[in-house]
Order: sequence, then C-alpha cells, then structure tokens
Amino acid sequence: MDKLQIALIIGSVLYLAVIFWLLKKNKMSIRYSLLWLASGAVMLLFACFPYLAKVLRAITGVQVVSNLIFLLAIVFMLIILLSLTSALSALVDKVKRLTQANALLEERVRRLEKQQQD
Amino acid sequence: MKILVIIPCYNEEENLERVVARLQKEAPQVDFLIVNDCSTDSSAAICKANGWRFLDLPSNLGIGGGVQSGYQYAVENDYDITVQMDGDGQHDPAYLEAVLAPVIAGELDMAVGSRFITKEGFQTSFMRRLGIRIISATIRLVCGAKVRDVTSGFRACGKKLTAFYARSYAQDYPEPEAIVSAVLNGYRVGEVPVVMQERMGGVSSINLLRSAYYMIKVPLALLVYRLSIRRKAARK
Repeated sequence: MDKLQIALIIGSVLYLAVIFWLLKKNKMSIRYSLLWLASGAVMLLFACFPYLAKVLRAITGVQVVSNLIFLLAIVFMLIILLSLTSALSALVDKVKRLTQANALLEERVRRLEKQQQD
Repeated sequence: MKILVIIPCYNEEENLERVVARLQKEAPQVDFLIVNDCSTDSSAAICKANGWRFLDLPSNLGIGGGVQSGYQYAVENDYDITVQMDGDGQHDPAYLEAVLAPVIAGELDMAVGSRFITKEGFQTSFMRRLGIRIISATIRLVCGAKVRDVTSGFRACGKKLTAFYARSYAQDYPEPEAIVSAVLNGYRVGEVPVVMQERMGGVSSINLLRSAYYMIKVPLALLVYRLSIRRKAARK
C-alpha cells in the first residue's frame, strides 16, 4: 500500500464519517443522505481496490484512470444537484401553500373577531 | 351574482386609497379583496385602518402566489366571478363592466383587458411593447390563442376557471403563463378593449434591462411549459 492509497482511504472514511455524523445529529434527512452515502461508498471502494478502477477503465475504453474517476465524480455531483433542485422546487411549493392557507385563516379569524365585537 | 375584485398589492401605500376610492365610486356593487404580498411599507396598516377586506401574506410570494390566494378566497366564499386589477392605478375601474360582460354572458371563461385593441391611453415603453409582441406570438404558437396584451393583469374569470386557478396558478411569469394554462386546459380566453393609465405613484418593478431579460426568458419558459403538459379537450 503506498502513501497515496492510504491518504485516499482515510479521506473517504472521513467523508463517510461526516455524513453519518450529520445523520446522527439530525442535520440531514435519510432521504437526501442516500446519494451522498453512495458516492462515499464508491470512493472508498476505489481507494481500497485500485484494481477495480483499472478494470472499469479497460471496459469503458477511457484512456486514463484518473479521467474515469473525474467523470464519475462529476456525474455524481450532477445527480445530487438535480435532486437538490427538485427538492427545492417541492419545498417552494409547500411554503407557498402554507403561506396562502395561513393568510386565508388569518383573514377569517379577523372577520370572526370583528363579528363577535359587533 | 357575486363578484370579487382581487387587487394584488406590494408597497402601494401611495396608490391604494385612490384605487379603492375609484373602484367604490365606479362599481359599488362588487366586493374587493386586497392581497398584501408582505409589503414593507404601510399598505397593510392602510387596509386595516379603512376596514377593507384584505389578505396579509406572511411572506412575499410574488404576484403569482398572491393572486392565487385571492382565487382561493373567491372559491372559499363562493364568488361567481373574479376580476384581477392592479393596485398601482393603471387599471381604470370604469372598464370593469367591459371585462366582466363576456364572462357574465358566458361567452368567455376569461376576458383579458387589452390596451392594444383601440390603442388609446397609456401604451407603455417601446421595449416593453416589443417584449409583449414576442410573448404574444409565442402564446399563439404554443396554444393558438390570439391575445395581444399578454401581460395585462386586468382580467375577469368565470367560476370554473377561478376554481382551476385556485388549485394551480402559474408562479414564475404568471400573466402570460396563466393564459396558456387556461387555454390548454380547455377554457376559452379572449380580449376586450380597455384604456390603461400610467401608474399614479411609486416605482414600477420593470426597467429596461429587466424587460429585455423578460422577453427572452418568458417565451422560453412558455415553450418549455408547453412541452411539459398535454392539451385537454374543450370544456362545455
């Protein structure tokens, strides 16, 4: 095992540990953690068995192993960003509905209070 | 027939009282509802002091979300027709009857008040007119409806369309998108001539750069929107 490999393994383990820590502290919901955990698992896998990356390189026909790794990393990030945008859009819609329902209720309360006073 | 005029309002303390006074003078028989979209000025206080019917949104939703809450109010309180009218004084309540007529007669589900039919009154800047033309052509392309004043926020809706809008109303570019969504869902949309005024006080949220950006963004959004939904059969 060379120095680089050890550093990569430590890095991936730390990365996974941070995700688990966030989960434990309830600062990330399990739903959104799955993609991040998957990315960490793949990173750890490649760090432990570099041979895997070489096999994958041969299969896909990518010229250099590092390019394959970068490609994988970018694909993961794109997927995560997409899922975040979709989650954000859903959230915006929920906040909108909540705001509207709240405003309608507030108006009703105001009207009823006025009726009671009269 | 119960009619509700929805007046969306964001920081319109200078105009609100004049707009309401004119509405009450021209059309005393209709109810009106001011939707205060979390104004930072005294708009809400003015509504309260005058004892007007108003919704006070706890966070700023933008014109789309604000107007939609007005439609929800109309559904909850069983109104037959809803009219949207800007709170900045651009829309003259004298033309209320003109936009209401085709909806009351059952000829249209939505009548949009257009300043470009008789070409009288305030016609807005060249850049905005150009943008409106491009958006109008796009709307014709994606759903076949011929509407010239696509950004006009002076419009009357029948009961069924009001219920539809209460459930789903365009949020990003609400005026043009709402036309497309109504037509594609089988509602009849048309235009009636009105005369508009220049806003009375305060600052419009639209400047030159924004209108250039708007005229590229909105047609793109409309095209994408068209690709994402299917046309439904006409309603009887």
